[in-house]
Amino acid sequence: MLDSKKIKADFPLFANHPDLIYLDNAATSQKPRSVIEALDNFYKFDNANVHRGVYELSERASDKYEHARVKVDEFIGASIPEEIIFTKGTTESLNLVAQSYGLANLKVGDEVLVADFEHHSNFLPWQQVCKLTGAELKILNSDKSGFINDEEWQKNLNHKTKIVALAHASNVLGTIADVKKIAALVHSVGSVLVVDGAQAMPHLSVNVQDLDCDFYAFSGHKMLGPMGTGVLYAKAKLLENMQPYQLGGGMIESVSIDEVIFAKSPEKFEAGTPNVAGAIALGAAIDYLKAVGLAEIRAHEIVLSEKLLSGLAEIPQVKLLGQAKASERTGLVSFSVEGVHAHDLSDYLAKQKIALRAGFHCAMPLHQRHQCGATLRASYYLYNTLADIDLLLSNLKKAIAFYG
Amino acid sequence: MDDLYRSELMEVYKDPAHRGSLHDPSVALAKHNPFCGDHLQLQLQIEAGVIKNARWQGEMCFVSIVGAEFLLEEIIGKSIEQVKKIDQKKLLSLLDLNLSTSRIACATLALKTLQEALEKYDK
Repeated sequence: MLDSKKIKADFPLFANHPDLIYLDNAATSQKPRSVIEALDNFYKFDNANVHRGVYELSERASDKYEHARVKVDEFIGASIPEEIIFTKGTTESLNLVAQSYGLANLKVGDEVLVADFEHHSNFLPWQQVCKLTGAELKILNSDKSGFINDEEWQKNLNHKTKIVALAHASNVLGTIADVKKIAALVHSVGSVLVVDGAQAMPHLSVNVQDLDCDFYAFSGHKMLGPMGTGVLYAKAKLLENMQPYQLGGGMIESVSIDEVIFAKSPEKFEAGTPNVAGAIALGAAIDYLKAVGLAEIRAHEIVLSEKLLSGLAEIPQVKLLGQAKASERTGLVSFSVEGVHAHDLSDYLAKQKIALRAGFHCAMPLHQRHQCGATLRASYYLYNTLADIDLLLSNLKKAIAFYG
Repeated sequence: MDDLYRSELMEVYKDPAHRGSLHDPSVALAKHNPFCGDHLQLQLQIEAGVIKNARWQGEMCFVSIVGAEFLLEEIIGKSIEQVKKIDQKKLLSLLDLNLSTSRIACATLALKTLQEALEKYDK
């Protein structure tokens, strides 16, 4: 296991909240000092707008911004940095694909497939684009463990399928999809695969070329980076033919009263002043994750998952949402407790300084399908310990006794 | 535990006096709390401008249940005009709970349902 005490010392928030048991990492992670300092230092030493000035400060800001792009490119194994578009998060990345690629490539008779466990941000953009184009939105239902099985793919995937939008890891079930296998399947019918990587990127080693997905979206803030940072990866040949999603400064080659020639990617998709400090700090987050080691982080959270799953199995009132094994899920478990409302449980736990999420986790269709109300979700990361899981389990038992 | 779990509130939560349904309600309305999906159905029996009886049903959290119970206790026997004067501030003062912002929506779910039900009744 990781030396969580040492790691925790790198995160200033824990020094300010020494008793906090933070188990809401699927919502957002805490930030290491190096990330906070990267933000701070940019504004203290390097602040100028990018791609505009020829003066030294502006060039330095531009260099650092582009260097962050290269870091992301290398981290996810894209073929060239121009395939990396900075956005404000997964939501914007997915909306960009839907509004730019989706609107231009869908028509009546086409089908778009999404899983029943999609986060609203990988569901609503497709629902909307289908309404606008007349394409049909079809749902892939997950099985008991939380996976889309072969039968479900065979039933739904066909030559009418033009876009498949799928979470690499579900934010409620935690299940990790076999994206490489799915990409081959999706490509065999001539469709593109859009992957929502928000929940996978913080936990897994991702190589987009190996996965062979067409689009990959993720957020910086769930992987130790700042809020308001995100990435859309797309294959260069797709980006070439896509129209910009927002128009404005910094994304043109030339403009006249009647005409515009857009810049090439990534500028074409980054209208306006980007979150330069955020992108640089995201680069610092990547450095931090690499220094700790993605494989080590993954091994650490699997141990935590095993502990939590076996502890929950001993509480008869607990009903898990998704049956995936520890090795098949990211660092999270969602569950409900028979007879006690999730908000009451989370309220009780909050009073013991245990922070976790209660609600629908932006996946209402999934909860409707499982016919359950709000659920509790415990999600952990590199700074969490077995002691955190023990405290959660013991307080959960106390809470159940209290309300029961 | 703090005042949220005062023993008298636990009693209300475990055995709510106004949970149930009315035989022939003058108006009924259901409402969701979008934050958690809690679902509340409120029924009112109104005679000559007075709330004669009221019942609620639904699967809800502690705070929503206590909020509904205090509200119904307060409105039964009062005129519609008096009931319309009950606002969030009034209800929260009746509850006398130190609620976080996110739980105020739970406490006032029944109140919002009541306000909409009375609007519906007026039409």
